[in-house]
Amino acid sequence: MIRVLTLLLAALLALPIAAEAQKPIKVGYPMILSGSGALFGEPALKGAEMYVEEINAKGGVLGRKIELLPRDTKGDANEAVRVSRELILKDNVDFLVGTLTSAEGPAVSVVAKENKIVFIANIPKTDQLTAPDKLHPYVFRTSANTTMEGRSAAEFVAKWPVTRIATISPDYAYGQDVTKSFVEHIRKLKPSVQIVDQQWPKLGEADYTPFINAQLAKKPEAVFSSLWGGHFVTFVKQARPLGYFEAIKLNFIGVGEAGSPETTKALGAEYPVGITANTYDAFYWTEGPPAQREYNARLSKYLKDEYPNSWAIQGYMGIHVLAEAIKKAGSTDSDKVSKALLGLTVDTPHGKMTIREKDHQATRGLLYGQVVKDAKYPFPILKPIIYVDPIRFMD
Amino acid sequence: MPDLSFVFAQALSGLTAAMFLFLIASGLSLIFGVLRVLNFAHGSFYMLGAYGAYQFVHWLGTGPGRFWWAVLLSALCVAVLGGLVERFLFQRLYGKEELYQLLFTYALVLILSDAAKILWGTQQKSVSRPPGLTGALSLFGATIPYYNLFIILLGPAIALGFWFALQRTRAGRFIRAAALDRETLGALGVNVNALYTGVFVLASFLGGLGGALITPMRSVVPGMDTEVIVEAFVVVVIGGLGSFWGTFLGALIYGQVLSFGILFFPRFSIFSMFALMAAVLIIRPWGLLGKPLK
Amino acid sequence: MIQRVPWALLVFVAAFFVPAASLRYYTFLANDVVIWALFATSLNLLVGYTGLVSFGHAAYFGIGAYTTGILMKKLGVSFLLAFPAAGVSGALFALVFGFFCVRLTRIYFAMLTLAFAQIVWAICFKWNEVTGGEQGMPEIPYPDFGWLERVAAWLPFVGGYRTSDYFYFLTLVLVAACLWLLRRVVGSPFGRMLTTIRENPERAEFIGVNVRRYELAAFVVAGAFAGLAGGLFGIFNRGVFPDFAYWTKSSEVLIMTLLGGMGTFIGPALGALVLIWLNQQIVSYTQYWPLVLGTILIVLLFVFPGGIAGAMESAARRLRRGRQVA
Repeated sequence: MIRVLTLLLAALLALPIAAEAQKPIKVGYPMILSGSGALFGEPALKGAEMYVEEINAKGGVLGRKIELLPRDTKGDANEAVRVSRELILKDNVDFLVGTLTSAEGPAVSVVAKENKIVFIANIPKTDQLTAPDKLHPYVFRTSANTTMEGRSAAEFVAKWPVTRIATISPDYAYGQDVTKSFVEHIRKLKPSVQIVDQQWPKLGEADYTPFINAQLAKKPEAVFSSLWGGHFVTFVKQARPLGYFEAIKLNFIGVGEAGSPETTKALGAEYPVGITANTYDAFYWTEGPPAQREYNARLSKYLKDEYPNSWAIQGYMGIHVLAEAIKKAGSTDSDKVSKALLGLTVDTPHGKMTIREKDHQATRGLLYGQVVKDAKYPFPILKPIIYVDPIRFMD
Repeated sequence: MPDLSFVFAQALSGLTAAMFLFLIASGLSLIFGVLRVLNFAHGSFYMLGAYGAYQFVHWLGTGPGRFWWAVLLSALCVAVLGGLVERFLFQRLYGKEELYQLLFTYALVLILSDAAKILWGTQQKSVSRPPGLTGALSLFGATIPYYNLFIILLGPAIALGFWFALQRTRAGRFIRAAALDRETLGALGVNVNALYTGVFVLASFLGGLGGALITPMRSVVPGMDTEVIVEAFVVVVIGGLGSFWGTFLGALIYGQVLSFGILFFPRFSIFSMFALMAAVLIIRPWGLLGKPLK
Repeated sequence: MIQRVPWALLVFVAAFFVPAASLRYYTFLANDVVIWALFATSLNLLVGYTGLVSFGHAAYFGIGAYTTGILMKKLGVSFLLAFPAAGVSGALFALVFGFFCVRLTRIYFAMLTLAFAQIVWAICFKWNEVTGGEQGMPEIPYPDFGWLERVAAWLPFVGGYRTSDYFYFLTLVLVAACLWLLRRVVGSPFGRMLTTIRENPERAEFIGVNVRRYELAAFVVAGAFAGLAGGLFGIFNRGVFPDFAYWTKSSEVLIMTLLGGMGTFIGPALGALVLIWLNQQIVSYTQYWPLVLGTILIVLLFVFPGGIAGAMESAARRLRRGRQVA
């Protein structure tokens, strides 16, 4: 009799624990899904969704499935704060992953800090997110930051036989910060360099021709640009007919993912073949690590696209790192996970990546390459792709 | 002292920008002059013209003149859309408070921008220059792309054609009369409602045409509707709301301000359009060629 | 009978129970609604009561938010000073901008308000040293609630509230006070003159009223209260960003005012409640919120131009008429 009762009692006690074990791990995903930023936010979300689908198929994390809750931030930091709060307070998410712009990231970071929820920023590049006065135990970043991007670009340009360098960047935080990093680093690497011109078109400028003319008049030998996405496309369409790229002999480096397959596809035959650019990922990187090729094969199937989007990896990596941290912590408690993230090394599709203890920044490599035409694809590609390990210039 | 070829190059780029703006702003000015309403959705028609051009170019495949066909077809589709919107929706708001008409056009902006997103997604789209107008010529040391030259010549051509139509044709006379006194015109037996629809169709055609023609020079992205409408406002305010040549002049001036502004006030292009609009509205609200307000 | 019930007081008291009675999230939603209710009501002073359609009201909202934010975060000033300062700076800018705006009418007036608002936005966007530029100023500190916590420890049944709850209570009190003040303004001879001006500006001029001065006064009052709303919002939002002044914020508050009903005092507040609630509901289902909003707007314009309050009023009137006839 007593044995039966004990068994019954044990079963009753186990029930809530079992129920608890079946409860999904909720991850809030604030991202831009409307307006002009959606062209990046949507693929990033898809990348995250694919990872979640795959990991759930394998049984989830700690025996629990991950549930992704995406919310549209509309590219508005204010809205990002609102949806993040909603995710935390109403939907009771365990973690937050996401945001895209350099305003959204720090804004959501504050919400995460006040609610003690781990937040992994997977796209914002602003140094401010992990700056010493803004850093707190709950914010982490899996994307590269403007310091890493600017300096890595400088390393390339330093090898070119040029001394007169110009820059053209959109006049807002991202453009300003990455250009500053570039200029500081190139002056260190090659003191003979002269910055002969700096153009600052406003963010979302529709007509770059006045800036292009002004820059050409200063006769630069090389140009650093951080125009991205649709802005880069517009810029090229206006610069090319003016002979801009010929004038600088294609000594042009475009950060801000100007070499992404989406951008080369959008411009097609109009893309200035021969320039150097970076990208988050490249499905055609045949010399890449096997994990990367495999990831892209799965992504291609998931997106039903033979040329899968290069932004998806941002979403993928954010959730991937979170899942690994949960596994290491053995718990979904944010305090434990935040400790587990410090110094955590993860096997990403691009190789090993570590979250640094000192600033919660991932040692995220950058992919650069020269743009060439390739008969296999209807658009130019980066070849060869050079993987830049940022560790030596992260400080 | 910047050299002559640079000044010339900047002036030309200002002229190109001006002609596009004129094309777009003229439709806005027309609607304001006759219907007395500021049509926020005009930027949306511009955007749809651009997306339409992209789509038609895509559908027409290869073939001679496909760019020009795409432009024409796109502008026509936008014109039809404008007509339908006016006839079945906008007409019901005549006589109601101005604010309601304005907010209606704003509601259209919201709906059309999402519609574009649903139809074409969020990825940036691009249209190439038409074969025959690729390449550039060199003049006074400056490089002028042929397409830009085409636009620079097209602008005044359309302006003159338009002006001629307004002055000499019957429909043009009706339009001018409606701008002055719609009640009397109605009393004289003219179908004012049909006239309004016609004006809306024409204005939408111009907006869509502007959007379609600009595609070789800009990327087609969500957000292009709102960015152009503010610029069109500025142009129309400078020139004078409702004045045809005022719009042309306003576009010319604004284009050059954009071009040379970066020499004198680099990094302030974000202010230029609003500062200019505010300055005109404070100093001379009826613009350069508009009629003085009561 | 129904008129005699002090609805406003009941709602006010009931609002205090939101944190105790519900999810934390609803407290935030309520806080959001209350602040926007003030913002929308301040706009209605211009649009509904004076007939001045402003497309740039968010400028004063943004200015108020930045004033409080800069004072509290960068200069360590206490909320007691920083909050009224928001109203003062909102009023000052409204005075300067309004001086030029009221010389114009209708669409020209609207466009100049828009131009000024965009200039404010551009300054906030670019002036990195003062406003934090495009990234804004995240993490504005909450006002010091130490004294309130000590009082709460004394009283039974009260306590265990978070800082955000205390801020909500503070917002309730402050917004209620502001709304009460605005109600007095609207009911005063000054307010009635504004309505006269809206209905027929020429007639008002005729009887010797300096229309422009009244309009400017209305502009300044509206700007002051918008600034106060902004000051509260900066703290609530845990950060101040340049798009507080962007024209889309102006259009949001204008739509709220229309949705709730420009013809009544309480209309805009209702509009704030409905729009924020709708936004929150719909955004979790679809990314096409602009499409939904545009459709709602069109339905409003064609079917319910008086907004919700207007529809409620005409329904009530019909009921009363029905009862009288019977």
